[in-house]
Amino acid sequence: MAATEPVAIIGWSVSPMERRTDKTEAQLLLDVITDATAHAGISRADVDFTCAGSCDYVAGQAFSFVQNINAIGAWPPKRDSHVEMDGAWALYEAWVRLQLGDLDVALATGSGRSSTADPATIYPMEMDPYYLAPLGADAVSMAALQARVLLDAGLVTERQMATIAARTRRDAVANPHAQVSGEFDVDALLAGEYVRDPLRRHDLPPITDGACAVVLARGEKARELTDRPVWITGFAHVAEAHQPGVRDLRVSTSAARAAKAAGVAEGGPIDVAELQSAFTHEEPVLTAALGLGPEVAINPSGGPLAANPIMATGLVRIAEAARQIRDAGKRRALAHATSGPCLQQNLVCVLEEGR
Amino acid sequence: MSKNPCAIIGIGQTQHKSRRWDVSLGGLVREAASRALEDARLTWADVDAVVLGKAPDLFEGVMKPELYLTDALGAAGKPMFRVHTAGSVGGTTGIVAAHLVETGIHRTVLAVAYQKQSEGNAQFALGSGKGASLGAGGAFAPYMRSYIHRTGAPLDVGPMVAVKDRQNALKNPYAHLKLADISLEKVKASQMMWDPIRYLESCPSSDGACAVVLTDEAGGLAAAADGRPPAWVLASAVRSEPSSFPGRDAVWSAGAADCAADVYRQAGITRPREQIDCAELYVPFSWYEPMWLEAHHIVGHGEGWKLTERGDTALGGAFPVNMSGGVLSTNPIGASGLLRFAEAALQVRGMAGEHQVDGARVALAQAYGASAQYFSMWLVGSSPDPFA
Amino acid sequence: MTTYVESTVRFPYKRSLGPVIGQFMTGLTEARLLGIRADDRVIVPPVEWDPETGEQLAHEFVEVGPAGTVRSWCWVEKPTTQHPLDRPFAFALIELDGASTGFLHAVDAGRREAMTTGMRVVPRWRTERRGHITDVEAFVPGDQPLPVERAEPAGEPVTMMTYDAEVHYLTPVTENETRVGQAAAEGRFLGLRCPRCARLYVGGKNDCPICAVALTPQDEVDLPQRGTITNYVIITPVQYPGQTETEPFARVHVLLDGVDVVLMFQPVVDLANDDVRPGVRVSAVWTPPDGTGRRALAGWRPTGEPDVDDPALVNRIH
Ligand SMILES: [Zn+2]
Repeated sequence: MAATEPVAIIGWSVSPMERRTDKTEAQLLLDVITDATAHAGISRADVDFTCAGSCDYVAGQAFSFVQNINAIGAWPPKRDSHVEMDGAWALYEAWVRLQLGDLDVALATGSGRSSTADPATIYPMEMDPYYLAPLGADAVSMAALQARVLLDAGLVTERQMATIAARTRRDAVANPHAQVSGEFDVDALLAGEYVRDPLRRHDLPPITDGACAVVLARGEKARELTDRPVWITGFAHVAEAHQPGVRDLRVSTSAARAAKAAGVAEGGPIDVAELQSAFTHEEPVLTAALGLGPEVAINPSGGPLAANPIMATGLVRIAEAARQIRDAGKRRALAHATSGPCLQQNLVCVLEEGR
Repeated sequence: MSKNPCAIIGIGQTQHKSRRWDVSLGGLVREAASRALEDARLTWADVDAVVLGKAPDLFEGVMKPELYLTDALGAAGKPMFRVHTAGSVGGTTGIVAAHLVETGIHRTVLAVAYQKQSEGNAQFALGSGKGASLGAGGAFAPYMRSYIHRTGAPLDVGPMVAVKDRQNALKNPYAHLKLADISLEKVKASQMMWDPIRYLESCPSSDGACAVVLTDEAGGLAAAADGRPPAWVLASAVRSEPSSFPGRDAVWSAGAADCAADVYRQAGITRPREQIDCAELYVPFSWYEPMWLEAHHIVGHGEGWKLTERGDTALGGAFPVNMSGGVLSTNPIGASGLLRFAEAALQVRGMAGEHQVDGARVALAQAYGASAQYFSMWLVGSSPDPFA
Repeated sequence: MTTYVESTVRFPYKRSLGPVIGQFMTGLTEARLLGIRADDRVIVPPVEWDPETGEQLAHEFVEVGPAGTVRSWCWVEKPTTQHPLDRPFAFALIELDGASTGFLHAVDAGRREAMTTGMRVVPRWRTERRGHITDVEAFVPGDQPLPVERAEPAGEPVTMMTYDAEVHYLTPVTENETRVGQAAAEGRFLGLRCPRCARLYVGGKNDCPICAVALTPQDEVDLPQRGTITNYVIITPVQYPGQTETEPFARVHVLLDGVDVVLMFQPVVDLANDDVRPGVRVSAVWTPPDGTGRRALAGWRPTGEPDVDDPALVNRIH
């Protein structure tokens, strides 16, 4: 659905991305909210609505998000919400809320300390509780099954996957938040051992602790607060069937639907895309589904292969896409977030330069 | 830009029980959702988006269950959204769904909330698996002691609420607890769990789900023309405040007051006690009935228990509260908020059956969560403009 | 140096299966693999609703397999404790003969080189089957069904399963939490005064929730060790895995002398549950030094002073 009331991103902050931070989620959020509001030229008191994205099982505690509201300064009491989803969906709720027209400024966050537990023991818990979770069906294995389907179908090669890894790591050099970056030789990468055949280490994201905050403002308020608003001109998300075994893993029908609903193909070419392709082979699946041609720069930040703070990775994509417009002179950007096994659920956010 | 009207045209809930061992997790949410669609005379294909609410994933040991439940809720090819705002989540689920309609982003939205407490253990989950979990009653008992002290409420008021809500539940075919022989004496004789909260003044642990179909003005008018009255969302609001800081008053809390004031302002309500016909308030422990009547300024501070004591909050009273039997009779935690919101809608649609408040035109629903610090409320009416 | 606290969240969840999953699990006890018909497809494992349209499926079960074809696979070199095998194996999507979908399970192929897409596999059944997805221990390469003692049709249909979730967590102890612990080891109570609003918090807190600013060691103050009980709760413990309490226990709120700080849900020492009430004067009790000389707060013990006669104390919960 294309936006009916113009809403713009006016500020953001991405925390340092680390293998293991000594900060709690609330502390990470305290910092990124302070920085994002400063970036937007406002204070916490100016925020009319907040929405957070985080996950109890990542934190290892029921109601873990309750402590995180200390970071937003909810006094006097605030209009506030929380999604047990990536912060990109928190931003979606904030975007919806602003379109009611009675509030002007909203804040969305995503936070996750992936290091708190072994993701291989957490992720099976999001799978079908009868058939898949009891097998310990972990995210890396599910991704590897999709990669094999693509390889067997000739839709991608291991060399292409290594090339994607090398490119994102090279691009990540310029990203102060990147956890994995540098110059890597494709042949050397391909000489590496499989971690989960057909996936090698470079096909996988790192384990990352981090958080992100993004500030939204509506219409005139956005123009008043900044002369360079980054407008959200399309925003949609779509799910598909849960079990990988019932889906055609060569394609992402839900990403394609989300792109259509967000109007990606209308309104001019996409210059740059930040995709939550946490595994190398997901990039060609997504670019095909989203209709992104070779002319579109993909993940100039390095993407999730450079830093992958679960529950914030998707929101970071939106912040990085906004950065591409505001700081790198791009006109139209696409940000993507995903959740679930083999790209089960996909979100697309289209951003455009100020007009 | 002003909000588009939003109509509730379908409501469904499961048979609530302590153990719904006849269904899977998917089967539980499906039962409520199918009934809501049937009530709305819609098919799965008519639903544009699904909003799913539930409290902590540790209750059932399924992380981000919106992924697995996509199939059960017919959400393949559609947006599937998951909210979690502690105990208030059921309310938030309804509100986020309403926003999707009010903004014109979607035409028809299915809101579903559930909890299947029998899969796990609530005290375990509330304590995140650590020892000496206070449980919900342990966390709230001090607030009630403070309330009783500051208002001088007679000690029978809590037990009176416990009796009244259980009697209402006898009229609700979906309610979990059916205590036909409930009496003041029985409540007072039941074990003191967390002084001043007795066993029979506490909510049960339930398996259950609730679903609500929300649609736009055209959909609401079409239902009305078909002889199926919709409920119109007149106002909605949420508020959160920190768990603890020096001097925080969690009895008449600022968040509760602000949330209510927001709803009253949106709906043009200046005398809530007179202008609202009935209310479904989140009362998991008996004393929360008078506490919420006051904290949400339905009546003045110190006046809430008087309503209860006079019998005003009973089904035939001047201001009925928890006609459904409330959380005290049915508590699938994540669904409990949406059950309140749905019951308010049932009342103004005139479809509440034996627990119908005669002539209810405007109904209030509320849910709260965590350390009484998350609030969600909505106000629904039998017409979009009941005060015109 | 940052320290971490280890914890394990473990719970044996008890799941009811409903009519379709229950039928499949019952089939497993009989060493039979069932799918469900959905138009011209057969979905395995069977699901209750059409994954594409959401429509309810008729309960038309079809026996499939036991042999099947690997449609995709990956090699798990280092299994986790949650995986079905404790040695290297493959996860595979297996299209069982007669099925239209991929069934996820393990293939015990011994070595990676033995795996190919399109290979034929058959299930290796457990001898004792309980109606659980792991009744198939794993699939193994081959086209001919392995001999299996086919149980008689189950007397009772399988309706329930358990799921033992276990996750180990490593949570950082923040600097403030470490310092309050260190102070406690010396028998001292630390507080933190917000540099912006001057509200005083009990030590170990990381931020002022009113101002949303970090609290740091520079904000530390020593807190008094005497106070008054303002409010309380007696908890009747419910037993659950991980529960440490068996008898009703008290938790009290203590307003410290001379400062605006309430300690919430504190344990008590030498105070019977029946004697817990607002107004009781208490002081902190520390455990004797342990082997490393460290103390810890044991709880709050009555000082013997007369009760504080202030009925409004009960309102100080926070
Ligand atoms: Zn402060």
